Amino acid sequence: MLLGIGEPLIGRLLTYDALGMRFREVKLRRDPKCPLCGEHPSITDLSIHRTGDAAACEVSDNGHPAPAPAGAPATKAGG
Amino acid sequence: MKTLKEMLAEARQVVPEQGPAELKKRIDAGEPLVVIDVRDPDEYRDGFIEPATNISRGFLEFRIGGAAADPTTPIVLYCQSGLRSMLAAKVLKDLGYENVTNLQGGFQKWAQSGLPVAKDRPMNADQIQRYSRHFLLPQVGEKGQRKLLRSKVLLIGAGGLGSPTALYLAAAGVGTLGLMDGDVVDVSNLQRQILHTTANVGRPKVESGTEMLRALNPDVTVIPLPTRIDVDNVMDIIKDYDLVIDGSDNFDTRYLMNDACYLAGKTNVHGSIFQFEGMATVLAPNQGPCYRCLYPTPPPPGLVPS
Repeated sequence: MLLGIGEPLIGRLLTYDALGMRFREVKLRRDPKCPLCGEHPSITDLSIHRTGDAAACEVSDNGHPAPAPAGAPATKAGG
Repeated sequence: MKTLKEMLAEARQVVPEQGPAELKKRIDAGEPLVVIDVRDPDEYRDGFIEPATNISRGFLEFRIGGAAADPTTPIVLYCQSGLRSMLAAKVLKDLGYENVTNLQGGFQKWAQSGLPVAKDRPMNADQIQRYSRHFLLPQVGEKGQRKLLRSKVLLIGAGGLGSPTALYLAAAGVGTLGLMDGDVVDVSNLQRQILHTTANVGRPKVESGTEMLRALNPDVTVIPLPTRIDVDNVMDIIKDYDLVIDGSDNFDTRYLMNDACYLAGKTNVHGSIFQFEGMATVLAPNQGPCYRCLYPTPPPPGLVPS
């Protein structure tokens, strides 16, 4: 990324299963309905993060049927 | 016989010009632009526009192929005041390059507008030895190493993900590393958070981390940020960095970093782990999805431990 060489993981999710010793790649797409980076963003500043956990992350008028795209592993936060 | 004035007028008919602000916009937007500084090497060394390569006017026709093989590549040329580069741009158009723009006012106007100027310090003997393995890689070389030394990366979290990342970035010679974490070192961290040591249990992670990184590579300026990132400090902190690495351990921070980086136009390298599985992706504003495209809602509390 810093050197501008190679192919960064933009639009790709690389997953690693340490037990199976397997790497997997999942294609990721932009969501035109995304409240932040979609065609009609509803999040244009950080004020949503002031009002508490649930409000910051749940955007009720999103219109999404399911949280994760098919085939993607469940979201993990550990870091 | 043609006058210089006539040659410039002829060039202006086929070469569009852009001011420094427009060029900065194009660079920040991540456009696959080739920027070429056509001044002499000593002028370039005194200060140049990132990410320009230096092909001086005299070598342009001979070396342009290496910088831009495809005639449709968007190219921007600049010189000190915009005149040399205007004539050079006309040459590129004559060679068949379709998308060539001249920087109006040149490097002078760019610098006077207060836009960032990059400058390389020659590497000392220790650095030449230290990074010798990078010089052997054609994709890196001395030029790449200089770029790393000028780069600034912010690490959110100095724990399980931040530790190896910080160590390898410091080893590689990334010139400035911001290390942000509000926690202290706990003995249970040491099973994986290899940035810290047994002797440092009880100390703030950024303190212990800063010491370790400076010992590994004194070239690196480590900026310790011993607090948690939050909605009040995030925009101010991320603005000075080229890249943000999110190794945080909770969803609130993940979503905050996602939003803040998108709004600030900063690329966010996102990594996470859970037990034996890990995942990584790069969230680049307007080039790929953001975190919310993938996970519009967080999992219910308690389902996935932090």
